[in-house]
Amino acid sequence: MDIVSRAAQPGGASAKLPLAFQPDHIAELTRALHSLDGLVGHPVLMGGGVVGIEVDRAKLVQFCRVLRDELGFEMLSSVSGVDMRDHLETVYHIRSLAHNWLLQIKVKLMPGNPQVDSLVGIWPAANWLERETYDLFGIIFTGHPDLRRILLDDEFEGYPLLKSFHPTPMTVHDRATTQVTPEEALSGEAQRGVERVVSKRLGQGTLERLHPGTPTFGHAHYPEQPGVPEDEGVD
Amino acid sequence: MAIDQGNQQDTHLYIEGAEGLRSEEMVLNMGPQHPSTHGVLRLVLTLDGETVVHCTPVIGYLHRGIEKILENRPYMGGIRYMDNSDYLSPMLNETAYVGAVEQLMGLEPPRRAQYIRLMTNEMQRIASHMVAIGTYLLDLGAMTPILYCFRDREGILDLFEALGGSRFNVNYMRIGGVLHDFPPGWLHRLEQWCRTFDQSLKELEDLVTGNEIFEARTQGVGYIDPQQAIAYGLTGPNLRGSGINFDLRVDRPYMAYREVSVNPAVRQEGDAFARFRVRLDECYESLRLIRVAMDTLPGGPISTRTPIALRPPRGETYFAVESSKGEQGIYLISDGSEYPYRAKIRGPSFVNLQILPELLRGHKMGDVVAILGSIDLVLGEVDR
Repeated sequence: MDIVSRAAQPGGASAKLPLAFQPDHIAELTRALHSLDGLVGHPVLMGGGVVGIEVDRAKLVQFCRVLRDELGFEMLSSVSGVDMRDHLETVYHIRSLAHNWLLQIKVKLMPGNPQVDSLVGIWPAANWLERETYDLFGIIFTGHPDLRRILLDDEFEGYPLLKSFHPTPMTVHDRATTQVTPEEALSGEAQRGVERVVSKRLGQGTLERLHPGTPTFGHAHYPEQPGVPEDEGVD
Repeated sequence: MAIDQGNQQDTHLYIEGAEGLRSEEMVLNMGPQHPSTHGVLRLVLTLDGETVVHCTPVIGYLHRGIEKILENRPYMGGIRYMDNSDYLSPMLNETAYVGAVEQLMGLEPPRRAQYIRLMTNEMQRIASHMVAIGTYLLDLGAMTPILYCFRDREGILDLFEALGGSRFNVNYMRIGGVLHDFPPGWLHRLEQWCRTFDQSLKELEDLVTGNEIFEARTQGVGYIDPQQAIAYGLTGPNLRGSGINFDLRVDRPYMAYREVSVNPAVRQEGDAFARFRVRLDECYESLRLIRVAMDTLPGGPISTRTPIALRPPRGETYFAVESSKGEQGIYLISDGSEYPYRAKIRGPSFVNLQILPELLRGHKMGDVVAILGSIDLVLGEVDR
């Protein structure tokens, strides 16, 4: 491996160089990817010298094995999940240290059935990265040796990075009053001076929950329709 | 966050006769509240006598959902949350985030801003390595060096305070530049600090090098094979300690690193001592880079005019900087609105921690701390 003994290169580029990285490397990589006939789609050049490619879900493992063994992509840098609202995607960033390439692989998952083959057998680094993606997105990596939650509690319900997941819990309004009937409370009467759980819209579209006993002044109102989950729309 | 039960064997509690007595493995819980885990890391160790058979790291105690928070903040508002990711090197995290947004927008910060970023990044790298070196030596029983290290780090934090207003969560980088230019006299103070640090770094090195106890505890301990290091995705000093010369400042230079040449420290041994030495040598290199940047600091504006409500064009990008722990990458997707559609933080500590069970296997219990400290974790960034 020539990278082991490589000396530090002097960086001598001018300040006008755009953020995109040396074009020669990119052309070389796209040529190499084209030589893998039939396996992948068309490689796209992204910013910062990253080549992006979209791979069919069924061919992922086969393609990655070719990448590692023939093109020298020996390091898996990151695994990300993306919620595209109608389907989920997994995005892999893979490095070749010897050629100084960075490749982004995108895999579209089936709507309603977020499953993809695990890459642990090819890069051991995929272990925790895939567990994290499973934890936050609910994507099932088939063939993963130890697929369980890693950052969140095992008892946690839901997958927080899905767009349908609300960042703050919805305010519970049936505990709202201690002194008046729920009907009175909901109709907006007899609320003043009563301990209650109120929700307040913050600037980011999230709901802040104030606990009973928190002094509330002035403009703390109920939402328009208490109890009905609001859209998490952004103000 | 459950412990896997795979290693607990069905054992008989009572066996007739002494010949039936046998030793059995013991499960030892280390952390999450333990001074040597540098945060809230929990290790479930399966021990055979003194030897570690199996180790299961349990993480997530510090999970704050930074990626979800970033999706609900404007682009400028997300910079502040990057500070909390790796709380020992906020400047580097911020640089990764603003670099990703700039790359998405096709924005080039002014040269002066790039050099200011380089200087603050290298100062932050020294500050982070000072914590790593000091606490590592403290873990191994050397009390004095942490006092030296934190004294020097204090100088950097004071300079950050003068620059950005706060010591830890500086919130100094901006998309398209930096927040403030240097206050009057700041560069002079930095020069003074460089002079004192030059001496105290040598002092620190004298304290450590040749210390037989330290070398005996770290040399040959926690060996990482180069191929193994690559396969596990290690970056930063952990990778360079195994003889792989990979540094994003050199291999994928960004910002001012395209004009300033960097000589990354590389050691071939691959043990805990090598990783420690790489960090120490990187401090010398960072100090040199700060001085180079001070000498060649260009004039001009410190920031481009960017609107507060940024709306980057639709698209996606991946941008990575060489953080003090390794590759700090940001994968950013914009849908054309003021909020990032997806911001993934690729943290170096999270990936580096994966190799720990492999390293600990077969080592004695006393070496656990020596190996764990040599990986240099920050749990804020492991858990995010």
